[in-house]
Amino acid sequence: MPPPGPLPGIPNRTPMAVKLRQVDEFRWEVPREGKMRTRGLVYASREMIPKIQEDRSLEQVANVATLPGIVGASLAMPDIHWGYGFPIGGVAAFDLDEGVVSPGGVGYDINCGVRLLRTNLEKPQLTCCVDELVNALFANIPSGVGSRRKDLKLTMPTLKEVLRSGAAWAVKNGYGEASDLEHIEARGTIEGADPDLVSQFAMDRGKDQLGTLGSGNHFVEVGFVDEIFDEPLARALGLFKDQVTIIVHTGSRGLGHQVCDDYLKVMLKATAKYGIELPDRQLCCAPLRSPEGRQYLAAMAAAANFAFANRQMITHWVRESFEQVFKIGPRDLGLELIYDVAHNIAKIETHQVNGKSMKLAVHRKGATRAFPPGHPETPSAYKQTGQPVLIPGDMGRYSYVLVGTQKALEETFGSTCHGAGREMSRAQATKAARGRNIVGEMLQKGIIVRGAGRGTIAEEISEAYKDVENVVNVAHGAGISKKVAKLRPVGVIKG
Amino acid sequence: MLMPGPSRRRPRPKKYRQIAHTADIAYRIEGGNLAEIYINAAHALVATMTDRRRLRIKETRDIEVEAPDREALLVSWLNYLLYLYDVDGFLGRFFVILELSEERLQARARGEIFDPDRHLGKTAVKAATYHHLALVPRNHGWQATVIFDL
Repeated sequence: MPPPGPLPGIPNRTPMAVKLRQVDEFRWEVPREGKMRTRGLVYASREMIPKIQEDRSLEQVANVATLPGIVGASLAMPDIHWGYGFPIGGVAAFDLDEGVVSPGGVGYDINCGVRLLRTNLEKPQLTCCVDELVNALFANIPSGVGSRRKDLKLTMPTLKEVLRSGAAWAVKNGYGEASDLEHIEARGTIEGADPDLVSQFAMDRGKDQLGTLGSGNHFVEVGFVDEIFDEPLARALGLFKDQVTIIVHTGSRGLGHQVCDDYLKVMLKATAKYGIELPDRQLCCAPLRSPEGRQYLAAMAAAANFAFANRQMITHWVRESFEQVFKIGPRDLGLELIYDVAHNIAKIETHQVNGKSMKLAVHRKGATRAFPPGHPETPSAYKQTGQPVLIPGDMGRYSYVLVGTQKALEETFGSTCHGAGREMSRAQATKAARGRNIVGEMLQKGIIVRGAGRGTIAEEISEAYKDVENVVNVAHGAGISKKVAKLRPVGVIKG
Repeated sequence: MLMPGPSRRRPRPKKYRQIAHTADIAYRIEGGNLAEIYINAAHALVATMTDRRRLRIKETRDIEVEAPDREALLVSWLNYLLYLYDVDGFLGRFFVILELSEERLQARARGEIFDPDRHLGKTAVKAATYHHLALVPRNHGWQATVIFDL
């Protein structure tokens, strides 16, 4: 597909030349220049570089490097592409005393993330009823523009509880098992969340959206383990060949978007107030120690908790759908949570920097935490393996399960890639899909797709995305995560 | 037989059109005056989410938004419309600007509550963004660029 041509007025198509120096097979350096306080470090293969240079994402890596208090390099994962302020695939850590926090380093969909569920079922058992299963999921999980569960009405005090406790609220109210919490990043509750710092607007938007999938690239996918790269690791994670798996991908819905929008306004003012010089307005930020910085972190944590609760409730309905269709109990089904990771978030974490232990605010925007075996924040179930990392691909190809590594902890503040990244714009994808029966094409590949939105399926066609395999191979090759298994879809519901 | 010649009338500029942009959706909005820009941008937003023509006039919402400048006002206005949609599903078909200054906009939206059985669900919009946001005089009118995060 040809890349979109240059357009007057949209400068991201006329990128300035950013210097790039190859470090090794998988690492590229953006040398420190001008106002940059540190260098940029991009994880990519040689083949990826021309595509990366097409948009302004490398300039964004350089821009992030100018922010006050940045520690280590301004990092970019192999799925780097153009974002708002920070590139998607960007990772940046900031000193708590001198550094800043930026909503642009998290994104609009706060705690957008992925969770992976396992079952005791095997692929042949699916053949009878993928259709029925997809329909059950579609009926039970509100998807797409304007859908909500009619049986779920939250009061404001309850919503505040959700914002404080995240997935723990959902479990306490009957959505899932207590053991699920052990298998969620931060146990499904980011500490320090303050619902009073979330605007009434944001809460109004979120009130009816808890337990909804949303639209765009969000999905629930039923698939199976197609290939295992590391047998002992797969076994330790509870995965085996041909096993039926489920992936849930969604975030904090309107509530998170409103928190981001509210705090962008706060940060635009704060940037001026604290005299922070910025190369791009969308990078607006505030010192971590300032009231504005702390307020954003507390509101962001609340939105992140909403997202954890959201995925937890959807998981409950996934379980119900499987029980309905297969008419077996939860014990035989063995539908358990393997892990849930956030890929749009800022976290306060302790890292070793030049041999010194430092507390940092690590921004991951379209990047996944990838902590190694034995790390205090790696859950006890994965002490030997490292934290599971879930990398969804496009709806027609495959997704990957990886684990975190010591190298990631040392080089990228324990971070890795998050997905495939788009190759075509939505408009291009829609054009490419015109006159085609996408649902029929997918069916021929053995994948049943149901989408709430007419537009969504066309926009989400496989060829609109880069091949996630290339992205994962770079992360694996560079040693910032380790391949465990490859999953293939058989049934997808899209928002 | 007389062939229809080229029309003398200049074609009216499109109120909004999509411009290429990976990942999200960007619109170029045209308007004879600022009020038209805000109205046409609202149409672009609603058209991204549903087929506007199927929306009936059943409900009214009065809207008031403020921002530091007219560009930020455009973002605030569009995000307020997204807020109305998230709260109870309201989508506007027609908009009237009642009062407009650089920093304040008062408007009335008429439309209805989204009904998945009757309305086409297209793509949900997360937010109107400040990225490459522009609102400038152009050809005796105004032109805006706004990017939606999807």
